[in-house]
Parts: sequence; structure tokens; C-alpha cells
Amino acid sequence: MLELIDIHTFYGPVEALRGVTFEVRQGEVVCLIGNNGAGKSTALMTISGIMRPAAGDIFFEGISIKGVSPHRILRMGISQVPEGRRIFPKLTVRENLEMGAYSGRGNAASLLEKVYTLFPVLKERHKQAGGTLSGGEQQMLAIGRALMSSPKLLLLDEPSLGLAPIVTSKIFRTIREINREGVTVLLVEQNARAALKLSERGYVLENGSVSLHGRGEDLLNNELVRKAYLGE
Amino acid sequence: MFLQQVINGLTIGSVYALIALGYSMVYGILELINFAHGEIYMLGAYLGIIFLAFFTAIGLTAYNLPLALFLTLILSVVFCASYGFTIEKVAYKPLRNAPRLSPLISAIGVSIFLQNYVMLTQGATDKVFPHLFGASGFQFVSVRMTYLQLVIILTSVVLMVALRLFVRNTKMGKAMRAVAQDKTMASLVGVNVDTVISVTFIIGSGLAAVAGLMVAMYYGLVNYFIGYIAGIKAFTAAVLGGIGSIRGAVFGGILLGLVESLGGSYISSEYKDAYAFIILIIVLLVKPGGLFGRAELEKV
Repeated sequence: MLELIDIHTFYGPVEALRGVTFEVRQGEVVCLIGNNGAGKSTALMTISGIMRPAAGDIFFEGISIKGVSPHRILRMGISQVPEGRRIFPKLTVRENLEMGAYSGRGNAASLLEKVYTLFPVLKERHKQAGGTLSGGEQQMLAIGRALMSSPKLLLLDEPSLGLAPIVTSKIFRTIREINREGVTVLLVEQNARAALKLSERGYVLENGSVSLHGRGEDLLNNELVRKAYLGE
Repeated sequence: MFLQQVINGLTIGSVYALIALGYSMVYGILELINFAHGEIYMLGAYLGIIFLAFFTAIGLTAYNLPLALFLTLILSVVFCASYGFTIEKVAYKPLRNAPRLSPLISAIGVSIFLQNYVMLTQGATDKVFPHLFGASGFQFVSVRMTYLQLVIILTSVVLMVALRLFVRNTKMGKAMRAVAQDKTMASLVGVNVDTVISVTFIIGSGLAAVAGLMVAMYYGLVNYFIGYIAGIKAFTAAVLGGIGSIRGAVFGGILLGLVESLGGSYISSEYKDAYAFIILIIVLLVKPGGLFGRAELEKV
């Protein structure tokens, strides 16, 4: 469904991605794990079209999306929950969700109902400014907003960052639920254990390129991964 | 006397507010002080004279004055909006990712260019806007208000209310607010940020055109330099209210008009232009973000 081939992306003068190649197949949950600065977020921003790769190519459903502008990529069905959630702080919860439906993919009213069913707390707070929500609620809002464009592929950047363990597990359960409903998921996580458990396959990014990949459970049992990313 | 000055202050204040909106909206979205904005207002005044002269020449003004004025207004707005749109594309968009100072310098360049362009094509001397209404008006107790003042205030109020409804309730308005808060995220939800920026310039320039035309009618004289002082005052109004805030621009503009008018009649009219800046300094000392502004205003 999504294929990155030898992608090089520069972040200012720094080459953040040095020939990244990976793929995500229809219906999968795939995770990218790696340390800070390994290039995980850059990879997602490159897929979404916010950053332009210097070399290489990206295909989504067989069509090259390299150099395509972000709003067009969203319309093709790739939606992102970025790092730090990036809620529009002064828009209400409801307006944030409406912005998610800006592209007009899918029926906004029924998508809104779906998001409210998934996260009832958002319905309770629909008139509140987005910036006043707690971290966990903001994460739910960010995911809900991304779902409002009825994506085929959902990119999630560090959804568990800064959240209490109980909220994290709720978020991960929700991601599984979203995937069961047919949305393909590409997940970037520092919390490698939870991410690998959830994922069919995983890629390890190191210094801007893929150093290891395999099935989620295989990576969980991999000696190198255990040492470097699971803290054992 | 006092009420009379309040009416005069409201009239000119609502014009400042219309211009200030353009500064504030563009700043809210691009964090750019569009120094060429005052020139758009000046162009609005000139275009008003030109189109009205055309309608007078073909006899429409004598036949149906309101229609001629309305068409003049529409055409001025359309032309100024195209100027605003083009200026953004030519002078600011290529510098979108450049250091902050570059688009600012570019804005000053556009401003100087437009002033000289108008001076060369229209001459350096004052142009007269025909007296259409004379001084007709109505008396209310001790206050005298001309119809033109009433028209200026009402037009401004209608436009500001319309702008607020647009920004609050329409899809494009929400997109504008989203872009002002987080451009990257706005594009991630599918907003074409370039379009939103263009729309912002078009709306801001359209409002400035209305302001220019109304002031030309009010004072009756226009020259190529009027955009400079009006621009600086409207910018002051925007900062006074808290730049980036629509409400702030409106209140800042009206406050400025009132201060000028009252200060001019009760203190000294020779310092009329200075009052605006005295108030600005006081407000910035007490509340650096402006009356309705955000506290964290460290940019530019």
C-alpha cells in the first residue's frame, strides 16, 4: 500500500533520512522504532508531504506521492497524528474535529458520531477550547481529528508520549480497534515494547536508515532490540 | 462639543479599524507586518476617483448617484484585492521560508514602489474627490452628523460584523483560524495553506479599498502619500488592540480615532498625530501584547 524506496530527506543541512526503504501493506499495523533523532518523525513528515525528499521515491497505492503537496496527500487517504498532537488550541474540540473533515472525504456527520463513540469524553467537551484538554484527551482529539478524513492509512507519531500508563493502554487498544475496522496503521513509538506487541511488522531506524526489520514478535525476542530498545 | 468630537472620532476610527484589520489578519497568519497595506488603501482612494470620473463621464453619476457609487466601490475593491493577491504572490511567497527580516524589507520595497508608481502616473499634486453629498446631514440635539459620516460608520460596522461571521462560521474562516494557529497541522488536515493566505490578502485589501474610498469622499483630497500616515496609524491601532486579533484591530482603530479627535479638540490639534503614539507607548508598557493580544508576543 505504501512504499518508501531509498528516501533521503534533509532537515536543514542535516541528512535526517539516509536511504530509508520500507513498506506497509494493506490492513497491517507496522511500527517504526528507534532512538531520538533516528529519523522516525522525519519519515512520517516526508510521507505526508510536509518535508520533501531530496532523493528516492514514495508510492501510495502504486502512485508516486513524492513532492505532492500535503493537502493532496491527505485527500488520497493518508492522515497523520503528528508528534506533540498539535491540537488547534483556540478552536473548540468540535471545531478541531471539523477541521479534520476539511477535505470532505467521507460523511462528516457520521464520522463525527463514530469519533464520539470511540472517545465519549470528546463529546462531553465539544465546546471546550482544544488547548484546555489534558494530555490524554488531546491525544484522543488528535486521533479523532485524523479519523475525520476517513483515512486508508493512519500515521501515528508517538501517541503515548507523556501519557500515564493507563491512558497509554487505552490509546493502544483504540489503535487496534481502528485497525480492525480496516484502517492501515503506521506507528512511530519510543515505547517499543507496546508498539511491537501491537504490530504485525516492525522496522528499526538507526541514524536515518533501517537497520533491522521483521515480524513484531520476532523483534521483541531479538537480542539487539532487547538490549537497545527494550532496556533489558 | 464632546459628543460632536465623539462622532468625528468614531468616523475616522472606523476607517482606521478597517485598515487595521488587514494588518492584523496578515500578521495573524504570516507573522508579517505588511507595510504595503497602507498603499492598498491609497490605491483604493485613487481608483475611487478614477472609476467615479468614468461613471460621471458616461453620465451615470448624474442619472443614478447611488448606483454609480456602488459600482465605484465594487470596482475599487476588486482592483485592490487583485493588487493584494499579486503582491503576496510576487513579493512575499518566494520569501516564505527566508529569514524573518527578508519579507519585511520586501514589504517596505513594495510600499515605496507603489507610492512612486502612483506619483508618476497620477502626479504629485493633490487630486480632488468630487463633493457629492455637500455637508448635508442631520441635527440631533447639539450634535451634527453628516450623512457621509453615517454611511462611513454603518459601512464599517457591516463589514466588521460580516468579517467576524465569516471567520467564525464558514469553512474558509475556520481554515484561516487553523492556519493562524498551526500552519503545518492545517496542511496535515488538508488545508491548502497557499489558498488561505491568498484569501487573507484579498479580504484585507478589499477592506482597505473601502476605507480608501470612504476617506477620499470624507476629506475630498487624495495624494500618493496618504497611505503612509494612515498605514502607520492603522498599524498602531492593530498593535494597540493586540496584533493578530480581529476584535483588537476594531477596538484599537476606534480608540485611536476617538483619542485623536478628542485630544485634537481639548488639548491641541497640532499634536493630533502624536496622540496615537503616546497611547501606544502607554498600552505597550502596561500590556505588551496589546489590549486583546496574546501575552507571548515575541515575534518580529
